[in-house]
Amino acid sequence: MTQLNRRTILRGMVNGAKVGMALPFLDIFLDVNGEALAATGQRLPVRFGTWIWGCGFIPERWIPTAEGSGYTMPPDLEPLAAYRDQMAIFSGFDVKLDGVANKPHMTGNLGLRTGIPVPTETVRAPTFDVLIGEVIGQGSRFRSIELSASGIERSYSFRGAGSPNPSEVSPVALYQRIFGEGFQDPNAASFTPDPRTMVRRSVLSAVTDDRQRLMRTLGAADRQRMDEYFTSVRQLEQQLELQLQPPAKVENFTMPQAPAETVVDADVEHVMVNHKIMAGLLAQALACNQTRVFNMLFSDTASNLRRSASSDTHHTLTHEEPVNPKLGYQEQVAWFAAKSMVACRDFVDALAGIKEGAGTLLDNTLLFAHSDCSIAKSHAVEGIPMMVIGKAGGRVRTGYHKAGRADAASRVGLSIQQAMGVQVEKWGTGSMDTNRTVTELVA
Amino acid sequence: MTAGDGYRRRAFLKGGVVLSAGLLLASASSERAAQASPSPEAPRQATGGLQNEVFRNGEAGFVVTEIAYALGPDGKDGACPAGMSAGVRGLIEALAKTPAGQRGADENQQSYERRMNMAVQTKSDGQNICLNPQGASADPGWRMVSGKVKVDGFDLDAREPGASRSRRVDTCSHEEFQGTQGERGVDNQWYRVVGCTTGFQSSGQANSWQTEMYTGSWGILMTLKGVDDLRNDPEVQIGFYANADPLELSAARAALPYATYAATQDERYRATTRGRIVDGVLMIDPVDLRFHNIVNSMTDDRILRAARARFRFTPDGGITGLLAGYTPVENMYDLQYGARHSRNAKGELAPERLRLGTSVGRAAVLGHTCNGAYQALYQAADGDRDPKTGRCTSISTQYKIRFAPAFVVDARTQSVNAPLALK
Amino acid sequence: MSVMIARTFKPSTLRRIGLGLCLALAGGIGWAQQGAQPEPAAVVEPKPLGGPLLMRRLTESQYRATIADVFAPDVAIAGRFERGLREDGLIAVGTSHGSMSAFSLEQYDVSARGIAAEVTGEKRRAQFVPCQPKSESTFDKACATRFVTDYGLKLFRRPLSPQERDRFVQVAQAAQAKLGTFHQGLEYALIGMLDSPHFLLRMERAEPDPQQPGTMRLDGWSKAVRLSYFLTNTTPDAELLRAAAHGELHSEQGLARQVDRLLASPRLASSVRAFFWDMFQFDGFNDLFKDPAIYPAYTTAVARDAQEQTLRTVVSLLVTQQGDYRDLFTTRETWLSRPLGILYRVPVATRNGWERGEYPANSARAGILTDVSMLALHSHPGRSSPTLRGKSLREIFLCEKVPDPPANVNFSIVQDAVNRPGSTARLRLAEHNDNPVCAGCHKLTDPIGLTLENFDGAGSFRAKENGAELDLSGSLDGKDFSGATGLGQAMHDNPSVTGCLTEKLYRSAIGRDIAGNEEPFVEYLMGRFEAESFRVPALMRAIALSKTFYAVSPALDQGPQRTAAAAAKKGNRS
Repeated sequence: MTQLNRRTILRGMVNGAKVGMALPFLDIFLDVNGEALAATGQRLPVRFGTWIWGCGFIPERWIPTAEGSGYTMPPDLEPLAAYRDQMAIFSGFDVKLDGVANKPHMTGNLGLRTGIPVPTETVRAPTFDVLIGEVIGQGSRFRSIELSASGIERSYSFRGAGSPNPSEVSPVALYQRIFGEGFQDPNAASFTPDPRTMVRRSVLSAVTDDRQRLMRTLGAADRQRMDEYFTSVRQLEQQLELQLQPPAKVENFTMPQAPAETVVDADVEHVMVNHKIMAGLLAQALACNQTRVFNMLFSDTASNLRRSASSDTHHTLTHEEPVNPKLGYQEQVAWFAAKSMVACRDFVDALAGIKEGAGTLLDNTLLFAHSDCSIAKSHAVEGIPMMVIGKAGGRVRTGYHKAGRADAASRVGLSIQQAMGVQVEKWGTGSMDTNRTVTELVA
Repeated sequence: MTAGDGYRRRAFLKGGVVLSAGLLLASASSERAAQASPSPEAPRQATGGLQNEVFRNGEAGFVVTEIAYALGPDGKDGACPAGMSAGVRGLIEALAKTPAGQRGADENQQSYERRMNMAVQTKSDGQNICLNPQGASADPGWRMVSGKVKVDGFDLDAREPGASRSRRVDTCSHEEFQGTQGERGVDNQWYRVVGCTTGFQSSGQANSWQTEMYTGSWGILMTLKGVDDLRNDPEVQIGFYANADPLELSAARAALPYATYAATQDERYRATTRGRIVDGVLMIDPVDLRFHNIVNSMTDDRILRAARARFRFTPDGGITGLLAGYTPVENMYDLQYGARHSRNAKGELAPERLRLGTSVGRAAVLGHTCNGAYQALYQAADGDRDPKTGRCTSISTQYKIRFAPAFVVDARTQSVNAPLALK
Repeated sequence: MSVMIARTFKPSTLRRIGLGLCLALAGGIGWAQQGAQPEPAAVVEPKPLGGPLLMRRLTESQYRATIADVFAPDVAIAGRFERGLREDGLIAVGTSHGSMSAFSLEQYDVSARGIAAEVTGEKRRAQFVPCQPKSESTFDKACATRFVTDYGLKLFRRPLSPQERDRFVQVAQAAQAKLGTFHQGLEYALIGMLDSPHFLLRMERAEPDPQQPGTMRLDGWSKAVRLSYFLTNTTPDAELLRAAAHGELHSEQGLARQVDRLLASPRLASSVRAFFWDMFQFDGFNDLFKDPAIYPAYTTAVARDAQEQTLRTVVSLLVTQQGDYRDLFTTRETWLSRPLGILYRVPVATRNGWERGEYPANSARAGILTDVSMLALHSHPGRSSPTLRGKSLREIFLCEKVPDPPANVNFSIVQDAVNRPGSTARLRLAEHNDNPVCAGCHKLTDPIGLTLENFDGAGSFRAKENGAELDLSGSLDGKDFSGATGLGQAMHDNPSVTGCLTEKLYRSAIGRDIAGNEEPFVEYLMGRFEAESFRVPALMRAIALSKTFYAVSPALDQGPQRTAAAAAKKGNRS
């Protein structure tokens, strides 16, 4: 009989069976052991993207009152209720300004994405989607794809100061770029493994070369410890071996139809339509490995969205509309905030609508959704709403609400990068400088 | 501070130190701090609470945690019987009734709106009104507070009771308010100007400029010295300084008491005066003050001339009350309306596009016009009469203010913001 | 056995009761000191007994210091570290038990790739690579061999065997063949060494002792490693490796020369700091949470600086001033930063750093027990805890083990009354202790902890609790006193305090628990400690110069291959 002691539990295995203990990154190994393989037997890549909406939220309608998994879905998140288990909600994380002048709608947003608050649009580091793209975006056709649904041709993805990645604003142009000239059938794509991965695998076998000799030198307890070391090396080798296989073939891939011309402007109803079409095209592009990284700008940070026949934009309403004394918040602003979450649901629907392996594209994606501020009328950068949606192939844990208690928002950015494999131990500057992983999200 | 807790500072402390446990102004006088008597003696306790922890050797430091204009009731509560100011929209509506304001046949809605907006914000010489308000046409839609309402504030053109130095501001005649506690002669002409614009209603957003204080962009410190009795003391010394450090906040973003802050070394943002405590109310001899104000990442000075105070000590060790004086009209216009002289982080004049956008944007969202504001300010101005023109150039302004106890040091140390400062 | 209290430290000089039932103690039966006259401490080191060969994992601080010393302090370490395993009160002991998860290895590999890329990269290779290849595109075996040999020695803390050396040279050659350039080859050879168990674990080796045939001794390299990580918390430096290579550590003079050299180095402070961080259990700050509504001044910065404050006091008193360990409990000197100033309610002029401070003579604070670190770490999220404070003080400083409470205790009395006007912890605990099951253990903890009650759960001073005056009287091992300064003095005067430190420092040095028959050696160390006026560096010197510290008698199942000379003298082992 195998004795179940601390050591065997920590090793995560008892007689080869998995023990349901929260071991760091155990999920990955489950995936590696086969669950996240496509029906074609191929490895499924992990994707990352951001989804941003402007002008924040109404805290009392968005922040769950309880932490952890047992929270009651707040009214403005109700559209996303179907994705409750695939969603982690982060409230109360601050962009720490350290006295840096707050350029409204910009400083908080870029602080969140670079870890460094700036008083202008001059970023002092690449936005973290670029850093993630450098790790996971290799080998796909586009390093990343930027989209904007409200007609504004900009993005908040920066390779460096003054080097933003511009957005596609038209569904038709987006279709052309991805599925027009130069598009190849993914199921026929040739594959060249990364030679560095091959070398890394050979390094690990050199490390394990004298295993037998080494084990003979050890007492029983240390032999067990060393055995675990070699088991861990084996896990790492397995990850590398999978990276050396050709990428996933796409199941049931059919060429999407070119979309019809649509009106591109800031009328919220038009924006919803364009956004949905773009989300669908993007999901197809992700599925057939055209890109693994994307940035969707649903509404600009100083949101220009407006309702038909109204001259007020979402942004001006945040400054003009009086607080409804009965509700305690600005009613029309709240309408736009709620609408933004409906749009978010549309986007997630598009990802979840594509089958991959035993799950969906969403299961292999990490979608980071956030705004530029918390309470727009004061441009507050404290408590900017953020969500992680999707399981990223098991690299992140979801299904809860976490309150940041004024911790630096860079903790979330750091953790996401770590989950996506970026080699970063600390991130941000000044009070945003953190090495504290959000352990609920990644171990 | 009680004898029960806390440290005594080591005598070798360099730089210069400290209030509360021995206020020390100017780094040159560090020896004085070192010689400060180690035996703490709290002022006679009259207010209860923590005040005896806050004072040591009759000295204490404070940091501003809340500041906003003291205003009267909203327009709907009787302040504006003639209605609210119409703002930019009013001008556009008026223009739309003229031939020049008609939409052209080949003009779509968007370009029509843009043209109308431009037209009402541009002078006949083509200059933008917000950045060049002089000589602009009148705004017929502007409304002053004209209702008989009670207003927060106190009398600024009376001689300060007990003032050791007589310093009066030459004033212009104006109708005075009755105070909320029944006081007479309350001077609050700033409220008269803004009380009927939407941005300055209690539900509006024009009076929330302390937000940037909470992000650490600016702050205000105060020191008290020579306090022997918190109830009645014929002479105390008061210092006001711009804070060189960001406000220290709790996780819930509340200002924390007992933090240490350094007073600015820039003489323009330092001022001292004398005062007295009468029946628990701290008053000061009129003193000219200058603080920082930051909006949209642009800096302006916030000036208050011949400032006086009505402060009370609170049981939590802090201070609350009114700080009032006269704001130069040109300065107030820059602060709240047209950002004509706003500076960027490097201290240079901020880009015109940013100043223009801010000024025009404010007019659009806060319900005023720049020409109306400029004219109303001069119309209501009640201080610093120019003997040549007979016209007043500053406007009585009352601030509601709250302080928490703090340690104010006067040391030339590197700013915590230095790593983030732009070149 | 579950309700027994175990005193893990029980040297016979003190004749303390090692084991006793809480219930028995509640009934007033002993915990008193027996035998008033201490026996004279041994002045000569007892015959060394020898322990097993150890395989200790580098701690996070050791890994960082090692990489900084082998390469450069600014070489980035990108991986994350698993939290150290705490065994019997010390992570240092846990390093001999700790497991190596897949997560850990993955993170070590992340660090290794980052380090290797930086070391062999174009920008810095001139600084780190000891030779230049004839050409970047053809494999230069001599240069690769030199690189592997040099860094192999530094990273494995011993020369590589020819097989090991050849293996890593082959890795370099194969990597160059695949990737194209010579330095890429070196990069992957270095990754291999950094991922190797010979780097990540301190694997000790024994050899036959020529002076005492038939017995084994640590080989010179293993001695150097024990010594180096003990005194400097980092890898052996070049001089120590040289001494090891020449067998100098086997002679008393040679050893003493190295010991005194390392004790004089600035690295001693790092080692003292690392030990006390471990002993004080400051890793607990990783998951310490305070209710921000109750303790608004307790911020992330405070949690960080509170630890630093105490460690600065430790290093300043024990290393810089070569002071008496017992004075840690009474010293009025301390260190301050701005965030701490808010909690202590004192001005701190220095903006971005530390300045010396002092607990005034008339203040309630003195010694590290009144530091925010100690007070906050051993409190609840929203209130202080005399019980937790008393328990931790016994465990950390007196080497006693206080049992956890039984699982089924009804705490509602304590909870309900927390905010009741006039309620104090003393009154609440008195109600709680009507239950005799609880009273026994609380008698061990509460009379200590209640003397700290004028510091709240975040460590700030309070004159009253819920409006009630505080009774700060208490006792420790039969000695009555009042308040935190009284407690500090009682700790200072308690003989167990220095004995416990001696034992913990030795256990930290050897990375394992002490066997019963090793007590005479601990007593010998205690005598030396006392003779040296309780100066901690002097105690470290006594350990580092002792024969016992290096003595090994490999366990029966530690195979013969672990000995360096085994291949040559097969079977030469008892």
